[in-house]
This record gives sequence, structure tokens and C-alpha cells, in this order.
Amino acid sequence: MNPIVRWFHQLGSPPYFDRFAARWAPVAYVLAILVMAYGLWAALFQVPADYQQGDSFRILYIHVPSAWMSMFVFGLMAFYAAIALVWRIKLCEILAMACAPIGAAFTVITLATGSIWGKPMWGTWWDWDPRLTTELILLFLYLGIIGLYNAIEDRRAAARAAGLLAIVGVALLPVIRYSVVWWNSLHQGQTISVFGQSQMDASMLPPLFAMIAATKLWFIGSLLARARADNLRREAGKDWVLRLAKPEAAR
Amino acid sequence: MMRSAASALIARDFRLLWRRRGDALQPALFALLVVVLFALALGGEARALERVAAPVLWLAVLLAGLLALDTLFRGDAEDGSLEQWMLAPVPLSWLVLVRTFMHWATTALPLLVATPLLGELLHLPRDQLPVLLASLALGTPLLSLLGAVVAALTVGMRRSGILVALLALPLYVPVLVFGAGSVAVAAQGLDAAGPLLLLGAGLVLALVLAPLAAAAAIRIAMS
Amino acid sequence: MSYQSYVIAAYGVFAVVLLWDFVAPRIEIARQLRAARLRAARRTSRAAESELTRTDSERQVSE
Repeated sequence: MNPIVRWFHQLGSPPYFDRFAARWAPVAYVLAILVMAYGLWAALFQVPADYQQGDSFRILYIHVPSAWMSMFVFGLMAFYAAIALVWRIKLCEILAMACAPIGAAFTVITLATGSIWGKPMWGTWWDWDPRLTTELILLFLYLGIIGLYNAIEDRRAAARAAGLLAIVGVALLPVIRYSVVWWNSLHQGQTISVFGQSQMDASMLPPLFAMIAATKLWFIGSLLARARADNLRREAGKDWVLRLAKPEAAR
Repeated sequence: MMRSAASALIARDFRLLWRRRGDALQPALFALLVVVLFALALGGEARALERVAAPVLWLAVLLAGLLALDTLFRGDAEDGSLEQWMLAPVPLSWLVLVRTFMHWATTALPLLVATPLLGELLHLPRDQLPVLLASLALGTPLLSLLGAVVAALTVGMRRSGILVALLALPLYVPVLVFGAGSVAVAAQGLDAAGPLLLLGAGLVLALVLAPLAAAAAIRIAMS
Repeated sequence: MSYQSYVIAAYGVFAVVLLWDFVAPRIEIARQLRAARLRAARRTSRAAESELTRTDSERQVSE
């Protein structure tokens, strides 16, 4: 059998996945922190201040990667959910549900940093800007998925129901975004976007790339850790879990 | 086969509704309550109210519909009919569509009829009424269909409460935006056809896709 | 205008949220393993008890 296909099948075995996740999550975390260290240092100390926005534009290096991650994770979650629903693969159910809290975390970061950035820029903590509004609705979608997953007793049915919601959500997300943009142009009139299409000088890009890579690595680490936790919870009564918890007393 | 199943379901729903006629008025009553509360909170002055009349009416209809969503599948889930639906020779999505239509006819239609009356309470400018009614006529079935998906996801949950509202809110946003927005566009003197057509397009898509999604959700919930 | 406090606040939010994201699964894994350990302990203690009664009843039957 093709080694890659065999590896996929092996991952489907809960004890194998537990060992895999336990081994690789720390690696991902360490790599993420290393890249993040460079990115944050460069963002704070190396890059010159923007002539228009001063030092506050350094928030961009947190805000933009988090915003992209909040979208990317949602799409990935829907992808895993689709596989889980069609092929009933337990691991994909676990992975889909593990994505949700991480995506919600990045969404919260996006909203908070967007708000903090907006205060010196617009003079107000909140503005019904289409991007922030869409981000807020995205947070509600995430919270709904997490809430639905936790509300149903049977873990497999819960994952499939929440997964269906994720798929519906990802299909509607462009519609929601378009409707909010239209709504904003209708009521707000001007569409000056402060975070907008201002050209970034090439010297300002490397920390952004570093933070984008770092958040992705962090996501991988967190996904593996959360998936491992959910895997353990689902397999609670099994022997291999007992052996893992108490290796010396195992019979 | 599908037509006889549909007519049987419709007849049964009507009979059940007739036995509890009062329930059909509850959404309309709730909308009236919302309108009264808004008027009280805003100070009751005609000039302030007429600016927000259409959006408030849209909200009242939306919230009343959200409340009524609970009854969409609950009765059948509790007495076991839902499992019979899954075993029926007709597609589950067809039964869901018929049930959603009946639910809309019995909860949202009374709201539509009540809207002109409620509009008077809020000093809604007369010329906004036709666009408002058109947007509600297109929007409420859309809300019912989207709500059916959410209701199907939470069927069998005893205390879903705020979870239903949380799940439905993001899905309702485009409908609310284009629905209330169409009246705003008309109020500015522009052509409201754009958002109304978008609502129509959404309705057509939802007529096909929402029952399928709701059927899948029912299967998951009943598994 | 000093932007320093805003930048610090934004980076602070980033750090706090990621810290939560790191700690939460670790707590959950520790909880699951602890529950498994307790379950194993209950299982062995129950097995030890039933062994005693089985020997007792066997002795009674043979006598």
C-alpha cells in the first residue's frame, strides 16, 4: 500500500493519533514561538514608524495575520466537517471541532486589536466598518458551533451537527460579507477604509510574512493539542488510555 | 405520492392548528409587544418614530419568527412522528419543505397582515409600506427556511433557548440587511429592485437547499 | 499622541489569548488522564473485592 495512504489510515487509529499529536504539537509550538519572536521583534523595533499613523500601525502585524487565520480556520473547519459528514471519519470530526476554539480565539484577537487600533485612528472604540462587522458575525458563528457541539450528548452526533452548521456557515459567509459591505455603503456613505489599500513599503513586509507563518505554525500546534484532548475524552473507557495514564500498573 | 403526502401533512397541520387557534396569533402579539416597547423606549414622538418605523417592524417580525421556530419540529419530535418521516417513502426534504411552508403560513402570514396596523402605530410613512410588505413577503419565507435548518440542528434538545437565537443570528443577517435596506433605499428615493431581487434570489436558493440541509440535520439529530 | 499604550494593549491581548489557547488543551488532557487513572484504580479495587467473595463461596460449596 502507498505509504502516504497507509499513514492516513494509521492516523485514524486513536492510540496512534495520540502518540503522533503528543510528539508533534510541541514541535509546532516551538517553531511558532521562534518565528513569532523574530516577527514581533521586527514589528516593534526594526520597522520604521508609518509617516501617517505613527507607531500605532505596528498593530497591523498582529491584526492582519489574526484576521486571515480567523477566515482560514473557518474554511479548514468546514473542509474537515465535510469529510467527516460524507465519509464518517472520526478523526476528521475531532479535527473539525478542534478548529473552532482556535478560530474563535483569532477572531477575538482580530476584533480587539481592530478596536484598539481604531481608537487613535477613528477616535472611537467601535465602528460598523464592514470588515469589523463581518468579523463580529464570524465570532457568533464560531460561538454557535462551539455551543452546538457542547450541547449534544453523543459526541459523534454533536460533531456532525456542528460540522453541518460549519458547512452552512462557510457557504453563507461570502453572502454575509457582501450584504454587510452593501449595507455599509448604503448607510455610511463614505467608504474610506483606514486599514485599507495603502501600499506597504517592501521594508515593512518581512515581519508580516513572519507573523503569518508563525500564526499558522501555532494553529497546527494548538490543533494537535486540542484534537489529542478530544480524542482522549472520546476514548475514555478504553484500555490504551488506562495504559497511557498509568503505565506502571497496567495489566 | 409526493402530492398526497404533502396534502396529508398540510391537512394534519391545519387540523392541529385549528384545535389551538389561539397559538396562531402569538407571533403577531409578540410583534405588537416589540413595537410598543420600541415606541415607549424612543419617546413616542412621531418624528423620531417614523425614521425608524420600517427597521423596527422588520426586527419585530424577525424576533417573532425566531420565537415561533421552537414549534416547527418540536411536536413531531416529541411524539415520534419525526422518525416516521425519516422512514417515509417520500424524501425527508420534501416533508420538511411542506412543514416549513405550513409553519410560515400560520406564523408569518398573520404578521404580514398585521404589518400595516403596526406601521400606523409607528407612524410609518405611507409610501414606504408597499416596499416594506414586499420585502417582508420575500424575507419571511427565507427566514423560515433558514430557521428550519437551525431548528433541525437543535431538534430534540430540551432547553435550546438562547442557542437557537445564537445559531440563527448570523444566518439572518443578510436577510435583515437586504430586507430593511430595501426600505431604506426606497426612502432615499432610489429604486428598491436591487435588494428585493437579491432577496428573491436567496429565497429561490433556500427553497431548494434549506430543506436538504434541514433533512441532513434531522438525520444527524435522530441518529 | 502617544501610541505606545495602544500598541502595548494590542500586543498584550495577543499574548493573553494565545496563552489561554495554549493552556486550555493541556488542562483538558491532564483532566482526562487523571480520570483514567481513577477509573483504573476503581477497577483494580473492585476486582480485588470480588476475588475474595468468589473464594469464600467456593469454600462454602466444597464444605
